[in-house]
Amino acid sequence: MSRPAPSPIYTLRGAGGPLNTLHFSCLAGDTPLLFSGSGHGVVHIWNLNSRRAERNLEGHSGSSVIWVNTLQSTGALLSQGRDMQVCQWDLREGRSEVVDSVWTGSVGFCQCSLLETSSGSSLLAFAGQQTEEIKIIELPSKKPVCTLVPDAKVGMVMCIKLWQPDSGPGPLLLAGYEDGSLLLWDVTQRCKLSEVKAHPEPVMCLTFDTKRLRGISASCEKKLSSWILDGQNNLQLQDLSVTLVNPGVSQLCVREDGKLLASAGWDHRVRVFGWKKLRPLAVLQYHSDMVLSVAFSDHQDPRQRLLAAGSKDQRISLWSIYSEGANSS
Amino acid sequence: MPLTMSQISDPKIAFAYLRPNCVLLTREPSVSNVKTLGSQLKEVNDATLQQLQEYVLFPLRFVLKVPGPKKDKLVQAVAETMSHILENTCVQSWDTLHGLFSELCLCLCSPTDPGKPADTSEELKLAVLQCLDALLHAAYGDIVFKLFEPIMLPGLGAAVSLLLALGEKEKSRDIQAAALKCLQALTLQCDCTQEHVVPSSEEQHAIGSAMASFLPGISMAVTRIITGDLRQGHAVTVRAIKFWSSAVRLVLEDVQLQASQPLKTPSSDLGRIAQLMVPRTQDWVKSTVGKLSVLLKKIISCTSAHRHWRVRLELVELADHLLARCSHSLGECVGLLLEALVGAVNDEEPRVRERCEVSLRDVSQRNQSSLNSSSGDMTSSTHTFTDVLSENLHSLATSLPRLMRTSDDQKKLFVLNVFLGYLKVLGPLVCVVLNSAAHLERISKALMQVLELDVMDVSIVEERSHSSSIETSSSAPDYYTAHIQRKHFLYFTDEKILSVLMEICRTLGFYGNIYLLTDHFLDLYRQSSSYRKQAAMVLNEIVRGAAGIGVATESQGLRGEGDGCSATLKEDLEAAVVSVVEEYISLNNWHLITVSEETDRDRQDQQLLSPPRLLSISNNDISKINVNSLQVIPSSFGSSSPSSSTPTVHQLNSNIWQLCIQLEGIGCFSQALGRDFRPLLMTSLYPVLEKAGEETLLVSQAALGSMWDISKACGYPSLKELINENSDYLLSDISLNLQRLNQHPQAPRVLTVMLTHSDCSLLPLVGDIVQDVLMALDLSYDHTAALFCSVLHALMRALARWFPSSCTRTNESATSKQTSTDQEVLDIRQFLLDYCKQRKLAEGIGIEEDNTEDLEVPPPVECEDSGDMEAPDVKAELPSHLRISKDVMERCIHLLSDPSLRLRLKVLDVLELCVCVLSEKGDELLPMAHRCWPALLQRLTADDPLAVLRAFRMLCTLGETCGDFLRRRVSKEVLPRLSSSLIRQAPISAKAGPIYLHTVAYKLQLAVLQGLGSLCQRLDLGEADLDAVCEACLPYLSCRQPSPLQEACLSVFRHLIQVDADTFWFTLNELHCPFSYTPPHPDLQPVQLSGMDRPRDEYSDNVLKLLREEFDSVSVTVDQKIS
Repeated sequence: MSRPAPSPIYTLRGAGGPLNTLHFSCLAGDTPLLFSGSGHGVVHIWNLNSRRAERNLEGHSGSSVIWVNTLQSTGALLSQGRDMQVCQWDLREGRSEVVDSVWTGSVGFCQCSLLETSSGSSLLAFAGQQTEEIKIIELPSKKPVCTLVPDAKVGMVMCIKLWQPDSGPGPLLLAGYEDGSLLLWDVTQRCKLSEVKAHPEPVMCLTFDTKRLRGISASCEKKLSSWILDGQNNLQLQDLSVTLVNPGVSQLCVREDGKLLASAGWDHRVRVFGWKKLRPLAVLQYHSDMVLSVAFSDHQDPRQRLLAAGSKDQRISLWSIYSEGANSS
Repeated sequence: MPLTMSQISDPKIAFAYLRPNCVLLTREPSVSNVKTLGSQLKEVNDATLQQLQEYVLFPLRFVLKVPGPKKDKLVQAVAETMSHILENTCVQSWDTLHGLFSELCLCLCSPTDPGKPADTSEELKLAVLQCLDALLHAAYGDIVFKLFEPIMLPGLGAAVSLLLALGEKEKSRDIQAAALKCLQALTLQCDCTQEHVVPSSEEQHAIGSAMASFLPGISMAVTRIITGDLRQGHAVTVRAIKFWSSAVRLVLEDVQLQASQPLKTPSSDLGRIAQLMVPRTQDWVKSTVGKLSVLLKKIISCTSAHRHWRVRLELVELADHLLARCSHSLGECVGLLLEALVGAVNDEEPRVRERCEVSLRDVSQRNQSSLNSSSGDMTSSTHTFTDVLSENLHSLATSLPRLMRTSDDQKKLFVLNVFLGYLKVLGPLVCVVLNSAAHLERISKALMQVLELDVMDVSIVEERSHSSSIETSSSAPDYYTAHIQRKHFLYFTDEKILSVLMEICRTLGFYGNIYLLTDHFLDLYRQSSSYRKQAAMVLNEIVRGAAGIGVATESQGLRGEGDGCSATLKEDLEAAVVSVVEEYISLNNWHLITVSEETDRDRQDQQLLSPPRLLSISNNDISKINVNSLQVIPSSFGSSSPSSSTPTVHQLNSNIWQLCIQLEGIGCFSQALGRDFRPLLMTSLYPVLEKAGEETLLVSQAALGSMWDISKACGYPSLKELINENSDYLLSDISLNLQRLNQHPQAPRVLTVMLTHSDCSLLPLVGDIVQDVLMALDLSYDHTAALFCSVLHALMRALARWFPSSCTRTNESATSKQTSTDQEVLDIRQFLLDYCKQRKLAEGIGIEEDNTEDLEVPPPVECEDSGDMEAPDVKAELPSHLRISKDVMERCIHLLSDPSLRLRLKVLDVLELCVCVLSEKGDELLPMAHRCWPALLQRLTADDPLAVLRAFRMLCTLGETCGDFLRRRVSKEVLPRLSSSLIRQAPISAKAGPIYLHTVAYKLQLAVLQGLGSLCQRLDLGEADLDAVCEACLPYLSCRQPSPLQEACLSVFRHLIQVDADTFWFTLNELHCPFSYTPPHPDLQPVQLSGMDRPRDEYSDNVLKLLREEFDSVSVTVDQKIS
């Protein structure tokens, strides 16, 4: 494989700040959009047809936006800022107003995790005011569901992932902590199901493939460690692990079809791996600063699928990689 | 009329009055008697005359009937008198008509051979013809048709052939015309102003049947008349054409032939006459039409280019007439007629054109209406009509390339007009025609061959260099269109031909299926490189046509329901444009080599060495740079390149044209889509800008033209807005490509073009790209330095233009200082402050505090606090243009010692601009100047003369801005070398011939002399230094030196005199003193100057000039002040 690394198909410029988070919304029929949260507290809505920012939402009073997501059911946008607020935006018919907000009390960088349970209601998990605390509330009622606090000292919550397993009654939650351990929580039972020490350093990010019950996490070191969830809901580290050239990963993302894994490296590079065997596939080089976020688009047509990477250099690069083969699956 | 008042109205009186003369005439036929009768007749009024008609006619007819030879005069008189009678009365009896008709015919024919005209005088013939005409007009409707009964055929035939013979053979135009008029009257087709009998359809039929017998004769003879002598005058020709068409129409009218008529068997009593009758059967019609088409071809070829417009108009009338009335029966002639008609569409005479357009519209409407009415069952007629048209089109397309090769421009134009006419007549049916693969293939191949460009012209590759310097200085949009290079075609030169061809393409696009057409021509485009340029040209016009641009408006009406489907049309068009643009800008078709490597480098060298621009910079005339700002495009410079390896020149030429056409195409597409083109800018703007930065003038011009088109179409008022508002697209591509320079070496060029055409509002947008550029440069100094240098140059030039800084301001303030000393007093405080600052700086302390001091306003405390929050240890941010300049300057300092001379020269240019921009902020400039000094000194003292030259310019600029910062360094390190070299060179230049003016040494001398004066003044050099300068310059005051050097040297002295007038007054007077100065008081020592009483020598002229200019004027002003 000595093909030259691809170049981005285009870049989005003008965010005016580091791009902490990206989220695609490319459902059929609508204009494909990409939401980005910048370090200056602005959520940009990029129109991927015109490749320009359509609207800028400023609702976090200049504090860095660390997470954006959309509610499929209502089309509402959620944005989490470091002003300890999670805002819900109404974007229909050209509106751009904050309709609701939740105070998290977390001063950390932990991104929220959203789980849409049934139409109209969803669960939002976020790091709470206490360092080790994870809170889960129900939207839109904002009713607290539970608060998860580990017994052992594991440090600050770094990253969380909430999902609904196919088997089993209630949703599960994966959380990475400052001391490098990963905990699996049962939300309904409010108890810890399993624990594994994945990294010697804080877990910077994790992603979990709910279909294959396999996840991967990264820290500020060179190693990515992958783990699986067995039938008894036990976390088990896999031998399969990757060592990077340069340490530090900001974000990991698995493509919807479960074929690709992308990592946002502190070394300005996006790395792409085969998800099955974690075979390194490509190093995407464009940015001139830390890559902070990666995201795969949710285009209906697999051939249109894109990979976006947001960097501290204030640019978003969009890549079309391994998308032609995707239609075989 | 008083005469009519006195006319006799009583028949009886009239009879009594006329009788004697009638009797006399019968007895004694003489001219005088006839004339008397004629004059008497004029006194009888019409009604009375009608009653007496038979009676009066009798003696006259009697005269004619008398056997034996008659005098011409007599017959003529009789004919004239009869004409008078017939003009004023009606003929009611068939016998009279018949009798007179045959008698008059007898007068015309020769007595021996009744088929031939008699050998009589022309006046007689004319009189008889007029009489015959009058007779036919006078005949009553019910009897005139008896003429066309079968029994009359022989007589009629004789008359017709006689008249034809007269029309053809006579020399007199009047007779020819009169004969033809008679024929018209005879067939009841007269077009004069008198009242005519209107035949019913049955009567029409009768006439038609009768005339069918004579049609061959008539058509042939009249054709001979039409195609006969050109000198016969247009009147005859027009009348002949008219008669031809009416005769043909009479016989072959559709209505008559279609009407089911009982085929009358000729009654047996006709005898042999029955043989003369012609049954108009299908076969007969067919064979007749076959013969007619031959004649028609002759007529058309003879008259379509006739000099007189009336003839051409008549031809149009003929075509229209026949197409309207006989299009079915004429069968194969329809094609010819249409061709004649469409050929006249672009006639130079507007009346012909209008008539033609009207009739074409009629034709196509008839065509369409018949198509619409018979949508269910297509009648054969419409089928044939369309078939004929498409067949004609096909055959024309087939023969087009041959015609274009062989015929002259006039003929080519005609043929193409015909082609265009067909398309217009077909209208929406073009779509159907093009659906046939054979047609499309044929038409496209014809266009491909006809539009073949002549790429043999070597001058295209060279041409760019000549006019470049003038042309790029203008930025008006219309300028680009005005100066677009004409395309040279292999097969024609006339611009009109091209415009018709383009219109053909547009019409194809307008009526045709845009998908089909773009697909087909894109196939051709891809298929072969020999078709590529033509196919692109055609595609461009097709798209424009499809959008309705440049399609003749009269055809708009035919479009009909076009408005309804405009939305889908728009979509189709957009999709088509997207695919074409994609093809155009694809790697293989866009990145063509237009410059051979060798010439390119040569030219760059030339460009760097070209002196004019050096001067403009050395003058520090920023405004001049502004004016020439468009010159930044590196391509536009340079002088003629030596011809490179010849085999590739044609290829280069071809590539250049292909790019130009494609660029024009993108412009066309934007016009076609209007604002809908905006999304396409994402992909297409970058390539266009890339070409705007191309070295080849033609390409860059085409690209600029295209940019103007785009900005107009997309609603941007100028290029600036176009670039600024789409800078995100451009910069995205630039930043991508900067990282892959080896694959996309054009990226810096695009940036250059952006900078050139935009203004300072672009700066915030390009800020990070500039960082990218600098980073890319940092990564590989070796390979990319030359490439980036041009970007940096463009960047700095743009910055210097956007932020016109103190370079000019210091100049002004300097001059103002010199003139008014009052101000100096006020400036002392500032001076001291500056001095203090400079001192501190020189000691290398407190740059940061300086910064705030410079603001003069005490910095607000809270501001500092807020600054602390974000970045506690960073000083106030520099304006971005200064920061960029600083960054660039830093790189340039490294590059200043690059081994490549070319690069060093370029870098010196860039540095100079950096200094200009930075001069705004001395705190930033001085440290940078300090850092670059060693390298600059190297250039000044130990480098190639070219570099020395450039470095000296740089030094001058630096001197302008840094002032005394440089004083010590210059006086210590630079001046000695400069002056020694000046002294060393002086004797050489004094002795050298004119060829010396082209050497580098001379240029260096000149540059140094030109800059030295202001440098000395600006740096405020010490006396010793000034002396040294003076000493070095004195030899150049010699009149043996080349005059530019003398001029430059004078300028040095002018500056020096401003610094220290007295010293140099003395110095000059030492050299030559024109006056003897007598002291005001005898006690004083007499003034003794060594220049006194010296004989006039080589220096005296210039010295005198200086003394006169500088010191006389001073003394005068001083005097004035005192007084």
